Amino acid sequence: MLHIYILLPFLAALLIGLAAKKVDRIHTGWFVLPVPAVLFILFISKLPILAEGKIVQSIANWIPSLDIQLSFYLDGLSMLFSLLITGIGSLVVLYSIFYLSKKEQLVHFYVYLLLFMGSMLGVVLSDNVFVLYTFWEFTSISSFLLIGFWFYRERSTYGAQKSMLVTVFGGLAMLGALILLSITAETNSIREMIANRSEIIESDLFIPILLLLLIGAFTKSAQFPFHSWLPDAMEAPTPVSAYLHSATMVKAGIYLVARFSLIFSGTDVFFIIVSGVGLITLCLGSILASRQTDLKAILAYSTISQLGMIMTMLGFGTGIATLAAIFHIFNHATFKGSLFMIAGIVDHETGTRDIRRLGGLYTFMPISATLAFFGAFSMAGVPLPIFNGFLSKEMFFDSSLKLEQTSGFAGTFAEWIPLLAVIGSIFTFVYSMYLVFGTFAGKAKLDQLEKKPHEAPIGMLISPIILIGFVVLIGLLPNLINESLLAPAVASVTGDFAQIHLKFWHGLNGPLYMSLIVVAVGTILALTLKRWQPIYNRVPGKFSTDRVYQTIVNGLLSFSSKFTKFYMTGSLRLYTSIILVFLVVSTSIFIYVTDGFKIAFDDLAPVTWPEVLVGFVMAVAAIATIWMTQRIAAIIVIGVVGYGLSLLFVFFRAPDLALTQLIVETITVALFLLCFAHLPKLKKSDKKSSEKLVDFVIAASTGALLTVVAISSHSSKYFESISKYFVDNSYKLGGGDNIVNVILVDFRGLDTLFEIAVLGLAALGIYAMIKYRDKGDMNH
Amino acid sequence: MEILMSILAGTLFAAGVYLILQKQLLKIVLGTALLSHGAHLFILTMGKLNRGKPPILIEGIKDYTDPLPQALILTSIVISFGVTSFLLVLAYRTYQSNKTDMMDQLRGTDDE
Amino acid sequence: MMSNLVFLPIFIPLFFGALLVFFNKKQKATVNISFLVVLLSFGVSIFLSYHVFSNGPLILETGGWKAPYGIILVADKLSVIMILAVNVIALTAAIFALSSVTEKMVEHYFYPLFFLLIAGVSGAFLTGDLFNLFVFFEVLLMASYGLIIIGGSKHQFRESVKYILLNLFSSILFVTTVAFLYSVTGTVNMAQLGERVAQVEQQGILTGIGILLFIVFATKGALFPLYFWLPKSYIVPSPIVSALFGALLTKVGVYSMLRVFTLIFSHKLELTHTFFIWIATLTMIIGVIGALSTSNVKLIIAYNIMPAIGFMLLGIGTFSAESLAGTIYYLVHDMAIKAALFFLAGLLVWHAGTSNLKKMGGYIKTAPLMGWMFFIASLILAGIPPFSGFIGKYLLLRGAMDEGHYIAAGVGLLSSLLILFSVIRIFIGAFWGELKEEPKQSVRTSGLAASAVLIAISILLGVGAEWFYPYVQAAADSLIDPQIYIDYVLKE
Repeated sequence: MLHIYILLPFLAALLIGLAAKKVDRIHTGWFVLPVPAVLFILFISKLPILAEGKIVQSIANWIPSLDIQLSFYLDGLSMLFSLLITGIGSLVVLYSIFYLSKKEQLVHFYVYLLLFMGSMLGVVLSDNVFVLYTFWEFTSISSFLLIGFWFYRERSTYGAQKSMLVTVFGGLAMLGALILLSITAETNSIREMIANRSEIIESDLFIPILLLLLIGAFTKSAQFPFHSWLPDAMEAPTPVSAYLHSATMVKAGIYLVARFSLIFSGTDVFFIIVSGVGLITLCLGSILASRQTDLKAILAYSTISQLGMIMTMLGFGTGIATLAAIFHIFNHATFKGSLFMIAGIVDHETGTRDIRRLGGLYTFMPISATLAFFGAFSMAGVPLPIFNGFLSKEMFFDSSLKLEQTSGFAGTFAEWIPLLAVIGSIFTFVYSMYLVFGTFAGKAKLDQLEKKPHEAPIGMLISPIILIGFVVLIGLLPNLINESLLAPAVASVTGDFAQIHLKFWHGLNGPLYMSLIVVAVGTILALTLKRWQPIYNRVPGKFSTDRVYQTIVNGLLSFSSKFTKFYMTGSLRLYTSIILVFLVVSTSIFIYVTDGFKIAFDDLAPVTWPEVLVGFVMAVAAIATIWMTQRIAAIIVIGVVGYGLSLLFVFFRAPDLALTQLIVETITVALFLLCFAHLPKLKKSDKKSSEKLVDFVIAASTGALLTVVAISSHSSKYFESISKYFVDNSYKLGGGDNIVNVILVDFRGLDTLFEIAVLGLAALGIYAMIKYRDKGDMNH
Repeated sequence: MEILMSILAGTLFAAGVYLILQKQLLKIVLGTALLSHGAHLFILTMGKLNRGKPPILIEGIKDYTDPLPQALILTSIVISFGVTSFLLVLAYRTYQSNKTDMMDQLRGTDDE
Repeated sequence: MMSNLVFLPIFIPLFFGALLVFFNKKQKATVNISFLVVLLSFGVSIFLSYHVFSNGPLILETGGWKAPYGIILVADKLSVIMILAVNVIALTAAIFALSSVTEKMVEHYFYPLFFLLIAGVSGAFLTGDLFNLFVFFEVLLMASYGLIIIGGSKHQFRESVKYILLNLFSSILFVTTVAFLYSVTGTVNMAQLGERVAQVEQQGILTGIGILLFIVFATKGALFPLYFWLPKSYIVPSPIVSALFGALLTKVGVYSMLRVFTLIFSHKLELTHTFFIWIATLTMIIGVIGALSTSNVKLIIAYNIMPAIGFMLLGIGTFSAESLAGTIYYLVHDMAIKAALFFLAGLLVWHAGTSNLKKMGGYIKTAPLMGWMFFIASLILAGIPPFSGFIGKYLLLRGAMDEGHYIAAGVGLLSSLLILFSVIRIFIGAFWGELKEEPKQSVRTSGLAASAVLIAISILLGVGAEWFYPYVQAAADSLIDPQIYIDYVLKE
């Protein structure tokens, strides 16, 4: 069953890609809408199964030989995410139908969106880690395409590239972690890994695995210091921001941490890193959000900060913290999704998202304003029973006060957490207020707007209304989803099916005081926001990690360019030198290490003077070529070497060789003569003496190395040569007296056939070069 | 003898290498010719030198010098001849179209 | 099993290549005949693979001389996988050629050279004799020398001089090293070399000779620090030639390493293969640095050859059944995707009238199909699942981590990111953005078709990995135990 659920969006994407262009009267979105809607209902229908504590699973073959199987399972955690993916998905598609005009490339948009939807479902339903990884990378790719939807805008392509680099970087780190996990736990299944928890925890690779996996999670969920891609991703159309970049894709990292909590949670490293990074992200994100002027930028930083908060709670790992995290995942999706949609509406209706040009819109768009009010107050955690955001934030404070870590560094760290939680929440309050009041309250600045604002069409409002409906409903009746949705999800993270009753009023206790401090300090700061602006602007935030990213990317490109130009000079001498030095050094080291040098005098031919004399003349002639400046002289010395070699062949009883060498040498010399007529005269080398020395050293050591190998090889004849067979059988089987000839034409006839082919090819090439010259470039 | 011949082949190789490190195309081509000679001498030396008769069967004689290296050298000589000729003509055409035979002027850039 | 079938993948291109020399003035006929020949050869290679995988390896004793005395051709699992891949490349190249090979190219003997290149490459994959491998190397190199200068521009001459000289040097070294090895072992037959080197436990000078041989293959395969000839010489010829080079030439080097360092020199693993892992790591690093260094789209693709070779060498260095399977899988994947990317880069450069990325932009409007194909090809290249690159990369990384080569695996992961960056830059720069200049010519359909076939194959190799992987695993298993090959060749 689950296979079909995941496949459905992909099939729909294919269908729409092929067919939708044919129907241009109806907005493509209408064809897309049923996909998430139907899936949502299908997932809802599985709720009762989960409530019984069971899971839904299905397995199909993909690559059984590699144990990469399409095995999927739906438990409480995947159910929560699946409902978000399909539920928010439906609302976003509905919203997009009114948001995107028919002039846009709708087919592309919806194909990417459906690809994303299917991939994201794949991420949260996979049991096999490499299938999970596959879908994970696909969410990055579809996100890349959606951010670059307006591909002609430079900011879009920049944001797309950045998001891809950062998330694929994380994905690859995660791949490393998954391979290590799979090696350590000897399984590719998440559930079996959890069962083999102790082997992982006790492995030497535990820390690397954890770190790599967390890099994957942190990049995807825009945690410090990888958060800076998310604000740049806001170049995507707003429905995409609402869907991928606040409700679903950015929560994949959260999902990953939650999914692997049963393995890692409870260790101090996990607590310190996850909660630490989460808290930094929470505080940094909220502070940075407070100084933004673009509505979507505020929401982007707000998302970063909220994700940090959820991450922190997962780091705590206690039952109450996990419940709070799960609850907040849901709540955040409702209020942030609606706020994004309203930001889109404001943009759509006024032509700007710059909060400095906005204000007083309440009178023009009262419905939107009201919705924004509920959304922002819920986000700020205002202690009223109609805001679901307050409930989960209260539980966050509560869990921060009930940490189990008491000793060591973890204990010290735990003591500071409530303070950081309050600081982060204060700024959350500040930007929430700034967002809603800056946009909708105060005096309207109509002169700064491109068009006169008015309320959005009802179609655009349906989705945020439904979401805000949830904000209020869950605020009032949180236990509505507790038993059916939250408790099973918590159970799959902690392994414990304990029910915690959710309620608004817990009496006058620590968390409530913390909330009240947040509201009080937050109100003051929000009212005096303008005065603090210079201080906000000093906080190194977006611009620091953003600059780090820029420095890395630009540095990489310019370093590559400089470095490559430095050595890829096009100079043959340099290339040859490097190759030869490598040859000499590496081979020498190996010969030294393996004690390869050997010299034996027992099986040598006697030294005879004619050969020595010829050899000596050849050596002198060869060395003399170096100084030749006269072309004729050069030919002569080369000839001396060549003919000398023929003579040696005669001495060494190789008559055929001698003859061939004689002929070839003669033709070569003739060719040289012919070419000399067309080539410039030999010049005296104008090299510096240091260069000459380098050349000499390289040449001498190459020659020496080969001599050493030759002597050693000759001194280590371990086996009898196969040549005996040729001697014995040349006449008997080959029918010839001349053994060399029989070898060439018979025993090794294939060599000769292709030797002729080489000669033919050379002739062909030469003929073409000479015959068809000067016909100019044909490929350029 | 084999040791001396190895040294000779090594010397030819060294001289060839020195030449291919030079700038002028022609010298480089001369260098490759020396390298081939060196290689062939190496191959010959790797059989046993001067043992037995030339590898042409004669009634009653059992000892012949190793024929296989000779066969390999023959193949190799022909191939090097082909390559050297090609290289010579190429050198000429390169000189003709680039108006120089100095390798340090034959470098080129990325943007072509 | 003895069969002449083994010779066909070499003989067909050799024969028709020679024949077509005489038809260099008849463009139409040549193009069409060539296409049929390639189809024929493709069919043969499928039949051969089928035969080998269902009935076991095939051996051809050329001239009827049994191993180790005569030259034998061995079609074992690895060889036929390679032969099949070569023929796929040849087929798509022939499709690409339909609209890109000009009359002048035909006149310059493009097709004879093309077929001889295929013959040489196929020979190198099939031969069971080390000296014969040298001969086939020379055939394919000589053909490549002829191909690289077709067009006759001064850049081509300039870069081909360097290309030829460096390759010539490594060929001379090759033949010398074969002689050294002959001296020690008394044979040039690869199976017997394997047997004899094993008998003496690769003692004495043998490891040194092995390293020399490694350097020979590493030069052909463009490994650090022996790759200098590659980038520029791959961008000067016509796109179809670049694609053939990118897909085939370096892979012959890798194949040879794969063969020689599993069959013959695998007894001092802790020395040689550890060395390979370092070289592999450095090759990946230097390759991605190169790929990020330039705005020349063809050069970006050319540099991307190196990290891929590094990956493959990593598998050889790791030397486990898993990692060798990874190397083979990656080898096949890389042949397909490199050819596709060189095709697409060529089409893009024709379309834009420049190879400079900075002068391009917005071509998704004028050439959407090419753009999206390029996008998918980029993902495949970077090893994004579920495409072909992932399967190989997964096996290689897993193998490396399993054996504790964490640094190499880490570099492998990081280089995947940078590979993606280097090619996605092309997609963003050339296809996204505002249309800066009107395209110079429309995209050639047969070029797109050829790329599409290769991309489809790459997707199939990934999504349908289960259909292919067992064969690759079987090939890798027979590499890890060289005795299988030795017994088969020598003791029949």
